[in-house]
Formats: sequence, structure tokens, C-alpha cells
Amino acid sequence: MPANDPYNEEVRRCFETPVHAGDVEGEYPEVLVADVSESAKGSRLVVSAGVEDGMVAEIRFRAFGCPHLVAAAELVCSELENGPLERLAAIGTNGLMERLAVPVGKTGRLFLVEDALRLLHRQAVCAE
Amino acid sequence: MNRDFVYLDYAATTPADPRVIDAMQSCMGAGGTFANPASIHIAGRKSAAIVDDARQKVATLLGTEPGRLIWTSGATESNNLAIRGAAMARANRGKHLISMPTEHKAVADTFRALAREGFDVTWIRPDEYGVLDIDELAAAIREDTQLVSVMHVNNETGVIQDIRAIGDLCRARDVLFHTDAAQSAGKLELDLDDLPVDLLSLTGHKFYGPQGVGALYIADRPHCNVLPIMFGGGQEKRMRPGTLPVHLIAGLGTAATLAFAEHDQDLRHVSALGNRMWAGIADIEGLQRNGPAEGGYPGILNVGIADIEGESLMLGMEPVCVASGSACNSTSGEPSYVLRALGRSDMEAQSAVRFSFGRMASEGDIDIAIERYRFAVDHCRSISPVS
Repeated sequence: MPANDPYNEEVRRCFETPVHAGDVEGEYPEVLVADVSESAKGSRLVVSAGVEDGMVAEIRFRAFGCPHLVAAAELVCSELENGPLERLAAIGTNGLMERLAVPVGKTGRLFLVEDALRLLHRQAVCAE
Repeated sequence: MNRDFVYLDYAATTPADPRVIDAMQSCMGAGGTFANPASIHIAGRKSAAIVDDARQKVATLLGTEPGRLIWTSGATESNNLAIRGAAMARANRGKHLISMPTEHKAVADTFRALAREGFDVTWIRPDEYGVLDIDELAAAIREDTQLVSVMHVNNETGVIQDIRAIGDLCRARDVLFHTDAAQSAGKLELDLDDLPVDLLSLTGHKFYGPQGVGALYIADRPHCNVLPIMFGGGQEKRMRPGTLPVHLIAGLGTAATLAFAEHDQDLRHVSALGNRMWAGIADIEGLQRNGPAEGGYPGILNVGIADIEGESLMLGMEPVCVASGSACNSTSGEPSYVLRALGRSDMEAQSAVRFSFGRMASEGDIDIAIERYRFAVDHCRSISPVS
């Protein structure tokens, strides 16, 4: 790839093989769903999480958006799966921006990921 | 050919033909025809002969006399010189100008700049296929109208405007007619001795010539003249100053000769490739063709699917090189304004992909493009919450 490639290796890997793309398929006591969108660019992100014993047992996403959004969603899902629910509130955009080398102009799209995770966390807290 | 990409973006630029490269190389270096053609010494005269020969070749391609052509740096400069130069030359007669919102930025932005300087510009929207309604143009022409500019072939959709009908109307109403022929010169037959066109812009790199050189045709008619927009030398009848780039002009001349000689073959080739591409993707659910299904320039195929995100589609299609209507490919940050003017929604416009075909593209390239486009659509849909 030329040096001015807008997508780093992590973005390409996550975009090409988004293993967490789809819907929660297992049966869990609780399945949370967050559906967020950005009207300006038409981007939309749906994240669903199967919750069991205070853990995110399964998490999946669906995205309509640029490769950076898809990669960010894939990355956070892979990090959250099989982890404690509290982590939903801990992941922010700064780390993602750096890791995926997201252009500053696309910051708003990454906020979608943060919004979705916060929404899931709120739902989990309310359900307790 | 050893490449790590499949190139189907010929409407953006074409690779130079090897015969064009040979012609350019013969001008370069100490042993070449490199001298300033304005110089009166023997080396300069040799360069001038190359420039004269190229001018004749381009004139032959266009069906006109070499004296009607001004060398420029490309279609953008030709468009600026034609529109601004003509508007200024006729400003004492009136300040009303007419164009279309689907024009290339080099035209549209020149008109917008003139509007900021006190000219009155009427923009005529095309129909859903991008075609100008000639009756609407006739109704828009006023007593003070001085210039109409309508491109011959649209660079995004391939729609062909009826420049004979437009030119006839303009001549009947004593209005100058300019056409941006960047996408048609060297590809479609043009006979300017017969066509009612007053000003025509072209560029070399759209028909296998080099980037950085083009020409402006100015008809030999009363009140058909342009004022210069740059100053500094007496070259090109004082209308376009600057030392002429002999190697680029030689390349453009050779490209013109090749286009003239191989026109039928080129047109058959791009038609076959366009048909093959369309046949390979037409059955995809939700696919919409942007532009005319028939009667357009066959070397351009523009399609879109509203529920597919344009930037992800482009990445999924790699290594196929095409143009996109998505905002990520736009300096304005907006989806294609041409497709928006045709009535497409933002979502439809942002998903648009323009395949454009040319002399060096092969059936194998098309087959790869079909496979990659179908794969990318399926991939995006498998991720999407919309589908």
C-alpha cells in the first residue's frame, strides 16, 4: 500500500473480517440493544449484547458507515466480549482514534461507538 | 502488464499511449526538440515546427483550422479562459450567462466567480437522466444573454447533450455557445467546421495524451472572442502567455492523431467493456443506473445502491480503481452534486460508483471489477443494519 493509505492495517483487518458483525444468537437472560445514528452522514450503528452474570457473554454489531466506523465497532466488540459489564462505560474514542489512525474529521462517527456502549451500559444498570 | 490494481477510472485520466510517450521523449533532453518555440534560432524553429505540427493534428481531430486553437494547461484553464474571457469581452453588451448545475467544477465555479462580480447567471437543471431541455434553454435566453455553456459529455454520468441543437439556438439568438468537451474530444466525432460551437475546451489526458496540456477552440465568427485572463507574454495571440511546453504539445498532437485514426476501434472497445460490466452487475438487488441507459457515452457507467455506504464499498472493491460519489471522495465533503442535481438523494448519491473504460482496459479487468463490486456489495450488506 502507498504511504498515504487512509486505512491502517488494523482498520483493514477489522473491516475485511468483522467476526463480530451480526446479531446476538445465543440465549441469555438479558439481551441489550443500542441503535444510534448520525443524521448528517447517514451513519448508523446497532450493538447488541447478551448479558449473563454481570458479564458480556456475546456482543455483536451492525454498521452502516465508513470503514473506520466498522473497524471501531469490531475492535470494541472483540475487547468487550467475555468481559465485565462495567467495561461498557469505560471505552472512549481517544484510544480508538489513535489505534485506528482515524482522521480528525471523522471523530463524530466514532462517537457513535461511544454512544452505543453508554446506552447499553445504562440499560444494564436500569435492569439491575 | 504488471500492475497491482485494475484501472477503470478513464474518465478521470487516461494513461499516456506508448506512442505518445515516444513523441514526448523525442522532445526532451539536450538531444531533443526542447528549445523555446518563440526563439528565432534554429533550435527554437525546430520546436516551433513541432508545435505547428501538433496544432495541425489537433485541428484535424476537431475538423477545424489550426489557427483557431489556443494551447492551455488543460480543460480547467480552457474553461476559465473561454467563460471568463468571453463574459468580459461581451460585458458591454450584457451580463446574463447560462449554464447547468451538472457542469464540471471548472465551469460551474467560474460562473459562480462571475456571479460574485456582478454577472447574472441562470442555472438550468436537467431532467432525471441529466439531459438539458432545449425549450427550457430557449425560454431562459434574454436580450442581455451573452454566453451559454453546456458540456458535451458529462464526466459523471456519460450523458451526451445535443450540442448541435444548443448551438443552433444560440446562433439564432446571437449568444455565444461554449462546450466543455473534456470527455468527448478524442472519443466522439467532432467536426467544428460543421457544428455551431463557438468555444470548445479540451484536455490531452482524457484521450491518452499527457496531463498538463489542453486547448481552447475559438470560432472565427463576428463578436466571438475572449479577453485574456493571464498576462505576461505574447504567446498564443496574446491570449495565453507563457513558454509553450513543447514535449506536452507534441504528446497531445500524437494523441490527437491516434484518436482520429483509431476512433471507431476505441468506441467499439469501450462499448463492449461497458456492456460486459453492466451485464455482470445489472441483476444486483436495488442497483440503480445514474444517467441514460441508452444514448450516453458508452465508456462511462455510473451505478448506485442507496443502502450501501460509499466509502466502505470503495474499500471493499480494492484493488479496482473507480470514482465514487461519496463525500469521502469529494473536496467539498458532500456527495456528488451532479447526481443530486439529477434528483438523487444524498444516500443514493453517496453510494454511486463510476466505472469508466478505455483503450488499455481488458475484458479480464471487467471480470475482476464485476467480482469485486458484487463482493463489496455483499460484504457491506452483511454488516449493515439497513439491509
